[in-house]
Amino acid sequence: MNAAYQFVTGPLAWAAWGIFLLGSAWRLVAMYRLARKKDASAIAYMSWGYSLRSIVNWLIPFNALGWRKNPAMTIATFAFHVCLIATPVFLVAHVMLWDQAFGVRYATIPDAAADGMTMLVIAACLFFAGRRLAMPDVRAITTPKDWFALAIVLAPFLTGFLAYHQAIDYDTMIVLHVVTGEIMLAAIPFTRLSHMVFAVFTRAYMGSEFGGVRHARDW
Amino acid sequence: MGIQDRLIEDVGLRRGVSRLTPEKIETVVRSVMASEAGARLKAYSETCMRCGMCAKGCHFALSHPDDPSYTPAAKVAQTMGVLLKTGGRVDPGTFYGIAQLAYTECNLCKRCVHYCPIGIDTGFIMSMVRRICHKLGVTPQYIQDTAHSHSTTFNQMWVKDDEWIDTLQWQEDEARDEFPGLRIPLDKEGAEIYYSVIAPEPKFRTQLIYQAAAIFNAAGVDWTMPSQPGWDNSDMCMFTGDFEMMGRLKRRHFESA
Repeated sequence: MNAAYQFVTGPLAWAAWGIFLLGSAWRLVAMYRLARKKDASAIAYMSWGYSLRSIVNWLIPFNALGWRKNPAMTIATFAFHVCLIATPVFLVAHVMLWDQAFGVRYATIPDAAADGMTMLVIAACLFFAGRRLAMPDVRAITTPKDWFALAIVLAPFLTGFLAYHQAIDYDTMIVLHVVTGEIMLAAIPFTRLSHMVFAVFTRAYMGSEFGGVRHARDW
Repeated sequence: MGIQDRLIEDVGLRRGVSRLTPEKIETVVRSVMASEAGARLKAYSETCMRCGMCAKGCHFALSHPDDPSYTPAAKVAQTMGVLLKTGGRVDPGTFYGIAQLAYTECNLCKRCVHYCPIGIDTGFIMSMVRRICHKLGVTPQYIQDTAHSHSTTFNQMWVKDDEWIDTLQWQEDEARDEFPGLRIPLDKEGAEIYYSVIAPEPKFRTQLIYQAAAIFNAAGVDWTMPSQPGWDNSDMCMFTGDFEMMGRLKRRHFESA
């Protein structure tokens, strides 16, 4: 078990981070090149002011029309995304790993808070799954890719939660936790999760088009 | 539920589809994907999380609350989604539904952009579908007639060149009974305001031109209207997917101004 742990936190971790970072960079460069070649009329309207105006307005809960008309989704998605990023980044155990490997230290959040945030992520995933099953208009557009993306994100939080509480065999669970976390990182550039990389640009473009062409807001 | 359950008869769509084969459709889809479709379509099709929030932004979806196939994301899935997944190799019967949906169940109003957190532009995707339909000659009869009118006369209502000027002078004449000093100045160089209309005004609602002239007259502004083709500021070719003709219309209108 110790060898397995060494492997997943060693070579496999390098591979996952490499795929995540280099893959994302490559996807961004390739997409930018494609846009330069084929979407010149769109690039011509890109504006920093209108882009940031749109992004900022969409980052405020209940500000955009879409948020106001979907209140439950708004609460779930904001809680989900904030906890999804903040929990793993500021978790004491994770910061200790950075410290051990590279001597990097930074702020952490208390374990009790991280535990609550993890439960929030799991709850939000269940909420998203429930919507996909119960709401006819969401069910009609759900594809296997969407379930896949949800499962990839849920897995590291579920295993992390179980490992922390030592509910099932800790040694197995922690290896599973590391592996599922690495799968999530590596999947970001190549699955639906790529909205992490591209969403800011699609939003920026719509902000620019609505601001620069229609002289209207897009939120 | 879906587009195939609500097909309507349209002579333009029917005739267009009768000339198609899966091979022809595939060739055109591939050529549009290779030439015109770019980063926007790629990013939109990849990152849509299928959250369904757009449903509340679409009047087609709101007016069919029991039919989830009218939501923007569902409409994309039934049109561009099918073409992307199959590489364009679909049978003509399926394509009839794709065309009907793209032309009659999305106005390209882009209201859903206000509801999509990541700003997916369904209107843009639908206009790409319409572009493919146009290239395959599958367009609804009525809108194609107005597009033909644009190609021939540069206005959408088959208004002839002399009829246009005649109409303006007629309205000027009528209006002078009420406002003796009123003029509808034509092609006045350096005028402050260039006023253009859409062709249904001279064709069906001519008094609108009278009323606009009355307002300009009362406001005492320096205005003019064009006498030559290019006076119609509408563009049905943009809506059919005839981007070549769209470019000619826009150029003529700007040159007129």
